[in-house]
Amino acid sequence: MLTPTDRREAVPTPDALADLLYAVSASRDHAAFAALFRHFAPRIKAYLIRGGVAPGQAEDLAQEAMVNVWRKAASFDRSRAAASTWIFTIARNLRIDQLRHERDAVPSATLPGDDADEVQDIVDTGALPCDHAASAQIGQGVRAAIDSLPPEQARVLQLSFYEEQPHVAIAEALGIPLGTVKSRIRLAVGQLRQRLEHLKS
Amino acid sequence: MSMHHPDDDLLLSLAVGSLDRASAIVIAAHLEGCTDCCQRLELLEAVGGEMLADIEPVEMEVGAFSRTLERLDPLPALPTAPAASARPRPDLPAGMHWPRSLEGCDITPWKRLGPGMRWSRITVPGDPQANAFLLRMAAGMQLAAHTHGGRELTQVLYGAFDDGRDVWRAGDLDETDGDVHHRPVVTADSECICLVALTGGRTRFDGLIARALGAWMGI
Repeated sequence: MLTPTDRREAVPTPDALADLLYAVSASRDHAAFAALFRHFAPRIKAYLIRGGVAPGQAEDLAQEAMVNVWRKAASFDRSRAAASTWIFTIARNLRIDQLRHERDAVPSATLPGDDADEVQDIVDTGALPCDHAASAQIGQGVRAAIDSLPPEQARVLQLSFYEEQPHVAIAEALGIPLGTVKSRIRLAVGQLRQRLEHLKS
Repeated sequence: MSMHHPDDDLLLSLAVGSLDRASAIVIAAHLEGCTDCCQRLELLEAVGGEMLADIEPVEMEVGAFSRTLERLDPLPALPTAPAASARPRPDLPAGMHWPRSLEGCDITPWKRLGPGMRWSRITVPGDPQANAFLLRMAAGMQLAAHTHGGRELTQVLYGAFDDGRDVWRAGDLDETDGDVHHRPVVTADSECICLVALTGGRTRFDGLIARALGAWMGI
C-alpha cells in the first residue's frame, strides 16, 4: 500500500512547487495539494522535531501547517518568495506559537490581565511585519550562495535551522567556546549576503 | 532612518523561530520602520526555505493526508475575544503610534517610578513569562547606572537617549548584556519612550534604591 510519503518520486523543482501552490489557490486542486503534502509535510515534521517539538505534536502541527497552506494559498506570490520559503514561514510561525503554548501550559503565577480564553484565537502571531515586497530576486540566488560558502559557514547556517539549541550545537560542531558562536553566525550570514550580492552583479 | 539595528544572530533566531516572544516583539517593532532589516530577514527566511527543502524528511503517520483533508473545511470564525477584555492603552505623546507588534498584548496604564519617570508592564498573550515593558522618561532624565543579568533589547519608540556609547534615537535598536554597564540619559530636547525586553536575567542596578525598585518592577 502506498501512503503519500512512501512514494520515492523525484523532488519537484521550485517552479513546479510554485505551480502546485497556484493550482491549489486558483482551483482548490486536491491532486496538487496532495503533491505539496507529499513533499512538505514530512519536511515540516522533521523541522519541528529538530526544533524540540515532540513527535506526536510535530505530526499534528505538520498537518495544521498544510491546512494553513490550503487556506492561505491565495496570498502566495511567486514573484516575492519561493514556495519553500513561503511554506517555511508558515511552519516557523506554528513553531513559535507551539513554544508559547508549551510554556503557557506550565502552571505559573500569572499576571493580572492574563486570561487563557484570550489566547485561543490569536492565530499566526508569529507573523512578522515584512511582506517580502523587496525579495523578488532573493530566492533565485540563495541556493547558489549557500553552496558557495566554505563548509564550516554552511554548517553554521544548517545548525541554526536544524537544532533546538543552535548556539550549543554550533559550539560543539566547530569546537569553539559558546561565547564566540555569535561572531561565527555574523560571519556566516555576512559571507552569505556578500556572495548573494556578488551573484547578482 | 535608524542607525542601530539588530545583528544577524538576532535576526537569524527570529527567522528560525527560536527567539523568545518578548524579544521577537521588540525586533518586530524595529522591522516595522526598517526596510533594510526586513530585507535582511527575508534573506534568512529564504535560507530557511532552502533548509526545509534539504532536511531529511520524517515520515508522516498512515492516514495523515486524509485526516488533513478532513480539516480543510473552513471553521466558523470564532468571535475575537481580545476586544472584549482589552483595556484602553495608556496615552502617548502626540504623533507617536503604537507598534503593530504590540497588538493583542495587555499594556498597563503608566505607573510612576519617580519624578519624570514612568513605566508600563506589557503582558504577551499566552506567554506570561515574557518580560517586556515600556519606559517613559522626561527630557534630561537619567536612568540609574546598571548592567544586565541577561540580554536586554531596547527599541526607541520616541525621543532619544545617550548612554556614553552612542546616541539612540527613535527607530534604533540597542542590544546589551552583562558586558555593558551604562547610565542612559534622555536627551534634552524631548521625552523618551522605549520598548524593552529582558531575557535570561534581570537588570542589575548599582544603587540600593534602584535595585529595590527594579525588584519591585520585576525587571
